[in-house]
Amino acid sequence: MELYVAALGFGLISVSVIAIAAVGFTMQFGITNMINLAYGEVMIVCAYVAFYVNQAGVNVWAAMIAAALAGAVLSFLLNRFLYAPFQRKGTNLIGMVIISLAASLMIANILLPIVGYGTSAYQMDQGQLLRWNGLVLTVAQIAIIVVAALMMLAIHGLLRYTRLGKAMRATAANPTLARNCGIPTQRVIDVVWLITGALCGVAGVVAGMNSENFSVASGAGYLITIIAAAVLGGAGQPYGAMIGALIIGIVTELSAAAIAPEYKEVVAFGILVLVMVLRPQGLLAKRGALAAAG
Amino acid sequence: MNTYYATTLVVYAGVDIIACLALNLQFGVSGIVNFSFIVFQSVGAYTAAVLSMPPDTANGGYQIYVGGFQLPFPIPWIGGALAGGLLAIPVGLVVLRKLRSDYQAISLLVLSVIVNSVITNARPFLNGAAGIAQVPGPFSDQVDPLTQSYQLLYVGLTVPCVLLVWLVASRIVNSPFGRSLRAMREHELAASALGKNPVQLKMTIFIVGGVIGGLSGAILVGYIAVWAPSEWLYPETIILFAAVIVGGRGNNLGAILGALLVPVGFFEATRLIPPTIGGWVPPPNLIPAMEWVAIGLLIIGFLWFRPEGVRPEARRVFEGGPDLE
Repeated sequence: MELYVAALGFGLISVSVIAIAAVGFTMQFGITNMINLAYGEVMIVCAYVAFYVNQAGVNVWAAMIAAALAGAVLSFLLNRFLYAPFQRKGTNLIGMVIISLAASLMIANILLPIVGYGTSAYQMDQGQLLRWNGLVLTVAQIAIIVVAALMMLAIHGLLRYTRLGKAMRATAANPTLARNCGIPTQRVIDVVWLITGALCGVAGVVAGMNSENFSVASGAGYLITIIAAAVLGGAGQPYGAMIGALIIGIVTELSAAAIAPEYKEVVAFGILVLVMVLRPQGLLAKRGALAAAG
Repeated sequence: MNTYYATTLVVYAGVDIIACLALNLQFGVSGIVNFSFIVFQSVGAYTAAVLSMPPDTANGGYQIYVGGFQLPFPIPWIGGALAGGLLAIPVGLVVLRKLRSDYQAISLLVLSVIVNSVITNARPFLNGAAGIAQVPGPFSDQVDPLTQSYQLLYVGLTVPCVLLVWLVASRIVNSPFGRSLRAMREHELAASALGKNPVQLKMTIFIVGGVIGGLSGAILVGYIAVWAPSEWLYPETIILFAAVIVGGRGNNLGAILGALLVPVGFFEATRLIPPTIGGWVPPPNLIPAMEWVAIGLLIIGFLWFRPEGVRPEARRVFEGGPDLE
């Protein structure tokens, strides 16, 4: 039993990491209609930006800000110079998925000669162990949970209570109508890529902190967990992604305690298959994956 | 030695052509973005391997795997092809029935990564990350595999398979069934309004592609005698996509041309890169990494400048129809 309570603790941290990443991924899809398969690799690039800043002697939590900036800029450029031109050209959904996968491959292989094949880890102080009813967490782990909670609240506030958030939701619902109502959808989309890129950057760093080490090869694993959480919640739905992260995070860590840690991603995949068979539109979305083919 | 190089090239080209023809049927003709194509090739390879190998207690038991039936030649290849088709049934039933096209693509990508991770971690099944080695090729008990005549024999077995697959693919593309597939690719809703069942069409071509993909894996594993998870990571599928996009989607000659240009021509060309460039020695990882970057650029460049590929799909015009010129 204690094993499972401890696993629940790990689960909470996983939930935090997945939630930050999946909300960014799903917002890109929901608002700009782009399944960005390069997301996992952008996370790795940002994790390495923070790694080098950290190596230069800066505290890893401060390095996280550098990673967020790097993620924002990289995602913005990726959209501006690759995705948006193809979308304007009228490339179909399938074409866009292939392009983002090609982009993912290119980012990984430009990064590889720079950082090498080996694994890296942050130099950080885990802080003292805190125990509460069988839950054992370090101060650093609690900080990750707090960062995630704050970011989720910030996204909630942004989408619900600001003009920008309203413009984002309008663009997601119907871009043509939004533009006709005077919303500068182009600028809104630029801001979406900046914000989701920053989420992606932070997610890369917390994912690197949470696992013992990371390498260029970690990107695919990150991407799969993110896709599972986003699809489970209903792709394009930020709140759905939060719920999806909660379920995937807890279930995968409990399964790691019950079966073996190597199969965490397989369990996430099992959940994904169940969702696709039983409720392909996800928990929250009304249409989502079920929309007409295109 | 030169014969050896030439025969190797022919076998690799044959395998790539078969794989590209299968992917073209799925992606080019029917619009199914099968990002897990390499899994079907791989399941064919593993099946052919365990059908032709002795039980894993032989050779001192340094590798563990299921099966080991030591069956004679055509059975492993047929088994590999069947396994590819059998795998396509459950995958197709989950992925192709309800999901939107881009969801299908990402589900298949996820499948590709997960299957690889399962095979890597579950060692007793197919020897895990180390993979299986010493797979006996066809007739290797009668002809010494290290001789030139065996190389020629293998070419003699590969080339008829390529021709057979090409024949089947042409029959499909030019048949009424092929027309239905293209109609579905162009406008699924319109095709179903005309009474075509898109799920049935997709399932059929997915299984056909799985069978052909499985065969390509069986041919490859008999030749190289080893098969490990590191050989079928998901980027390998992207190379085949690059080939079909570069060659020309939707027509078999385009797929064959793409197979000769990208997996064969491109990777042979990189062998010509000198080990030192003007006294500068590139780091060992740089060239392979840059090959992948070039594959990405090739896909993006072609989709931007020439999405129809080197050899575009012929526009089919109904002869009895009105003159549109």
